[in-house]
Amino acid sequence: MTELLQYVANGLVSGGIYAIVAVGFITIYSVSKVINLAQGEFLMLGGMMTVALIGMNIPYGAAALLAVIAVTLIGVLMQKYVIAYVKKANPISLIILTIGISTLIRGVASFIWGKDAFALPPITSNEPISVAGVNIAQQSIWILLAVLIILLLLWFLMDKTILGKKINACSINPMAARLMGISPAKMSMLAFAISGATGAIAGIVIAPLSVTSYDIGVLLGIKGFSAAILGGLGNPLGAAVAAFLLGIVESLGAGYISSGMKDAIAFLVLIAVLLIKPSGIFGERSVGKGGL
Amino acid sequence: MQWINKWGKSFGIYLLFVLIFPFIMPDEYYRSVGIIIGLHAIVTIGLCLVMGLAGQISLGQAAFWGIGAYTSAVLTTKYGLPPLVGLIASAILPGLFAFILGRAIAGLQGYYLAMATLAFGYIVQIGITEWEPVTGGANGLISIPSVPVFGDSELSMYYLIWGVVTCVLLFSLNLLHSRVGRAFRAIHKSEIAATSMGIDVRKFKLNAFVISGMFAGISGGLYAHYMGILDPQPFGLHESIKFLTMVVIGGMTSIWGALVGTVLINSISEGLIMLSEVIPGLQGDFDTIVFGAILVLIIMFMPEGIVPRIRAAYEKSAAKKAKANQAQQSEQVVERKAAT
Repeated sequence: MTELLQYVANGLVSGGIYAIVAVGFITIYSVSKVINLAQGEFLMLGGMMTVALIGMNIPYGAAALLAVIAVTLIGVLMQKYVIAYVKKANPISLIILTIGISTLIRGVASFIWGKDAFALPPITSNEPISVAGVNIAQQSIWILLAVLIILLLLWFLMDKTILGKKINACSINPMAARLMGISPAKMSMLAFAISGATGAIAGIVIAPLSVTSYDIGVLLGIKGFSAAILGGLGNPLGAAVAAFLLGIVESLGAGYISSGMKDAIAFLVLIAVLLIKPSGIFGERSVGKGGL
Repeated sequence: MQWINKWGKSFGIYLLFVLIFPFIMPDEYYRSVGIIIGLHAIVTIGLCLVMGLAGQISLGQAAFWGIGAYTSAVLTTKYGLPPLVGLIASAILPGLFAFILGRAIAGLQGYYLAMATLAFGYIVQIGITEWEPVTGGANGLISIPSVPVFGDSELSMYYLIWGVVTCVLLFSLNLLHSRVGRAFRAIHKSEIAATSMGIDVRKFKLNAFVISGMFAGISGGLYAHYMGILDPQPFGLHESIKFLTMVVIGGMTSIWGALVGTVLINSISEGLIMLSEVIPGLQGDFDTIVFGAILVLIIMFMPEGIVPRIRAAYEKSAAKKAKANQAQQSEQVVERKAAT
């Protein structure tokens, strides 16, 4: 029983990170109909930049803040100068484009910081907390806290503010939104800024627990995308739930079957769901069908 | 056989170049580069059929390559079968995988399809790494026998592989200019219109997928026998994206484009390796930066790819010339009439 609880606890932590990535995907997708396959690189950049800035003797908090701002800016620039330029492209071209961006960012990162793995110091001490025989690293609690705060803030922004209403309007009908004086281009930029910022924060909070290196973005991005699809593209709540489920399934699989097969299990689940119910467990919100 | 007339000139140039290349560069190193380009070309021509013709995306092409490579390698090293049997199996097994996967994901489109093929690629690479008793795990397999064709030299291997490339190329060009090819182009333009004209869209897409899987498998088998050693590392996402880059840069809709793209990307790779020997700062993943930049720039500024762009420019200038000729002739007629 303790073992099972331990696996579930571990799964919740990685699930939380997938949730942030998945919600980042959906934020961008619902506004601009682009799946940003470079989403995972935002996490990598957040973690790596913080490590680099701390290396320049900048205090932890300031370094993290600077990194988040920098990644947000990268997201905005990416939308403004690359994505907006090919607005009329078909989904295949957009997939290739964002894969290209992700490859480019990864290459530049490995060029600047090398291929070594780095670790950030944990926010509070390294001592794990023991609850009913289950060991939880203190950083895990910080991660879950950060995830919950981000998800709550995003929900508040999208559902309770005028800005959120504007973003929703653009995702439902860009033409009508424009007639109401909302600029879809600006909202699209905002969506990239939001997913850049949330991605960077996620990248920073996981860096102390699992080391960060130039190539962590690939798998995190793909897992997050899997969660977004599992939950139903365009459905943030569904995606967040699916992300936690994916994290738990993966952790259980790693524990009871084989740790080497951990990633394969996640992908097998994804393919199975795609075959049985392509619109995701919780249904796709009507914002375009898989980019078509 | 109509394509002979249409493609005769380009095909002649291609054949000539392939035949004399080992003698322009009579160095073993360049011959080995030529072999690698040939192996990549077999995969990219197949990928081009899937992407350009059927309008689908596959982010897991390196997985079929890997399945092919390991099939032949395991059959020859563990069971002592002759390489030829291994090679035949390395075409059939990936084709079977592609058939099952293609059947399963036939209803998926766009991002879902990209994700499913990507996940498949990961599963295969992890499977190869974890199935240690058969595949040797992360350590890989060693002493895979080479294919015994007219000797064992780099040169004979070069001709063997480019012979296969030529077969694959002819098959694909023929396909493109047949009823099947027209059906594919119809699907690419509009699936609904194609369906209403009586084209079984699912079947055609599945066929393209299976053919591309078999091509990749054959190439993988040849790769295994050529290298002599195997490990799971080159069969991941990185390689799949490299194949994608080759197809995209040359032009998704053109078989020749896939070939040109393969040569181009491999040349850039080799050029970067040479550059890194001169400039010490360029080591490591510099090629990743270049390939990423190429993908982004191509989609931004030349989404149709190099070969279709050049062909369009050529046809435009030819049309202009023809027009100018016509204008000149009619002018002459007018002048003659005026004179009389």
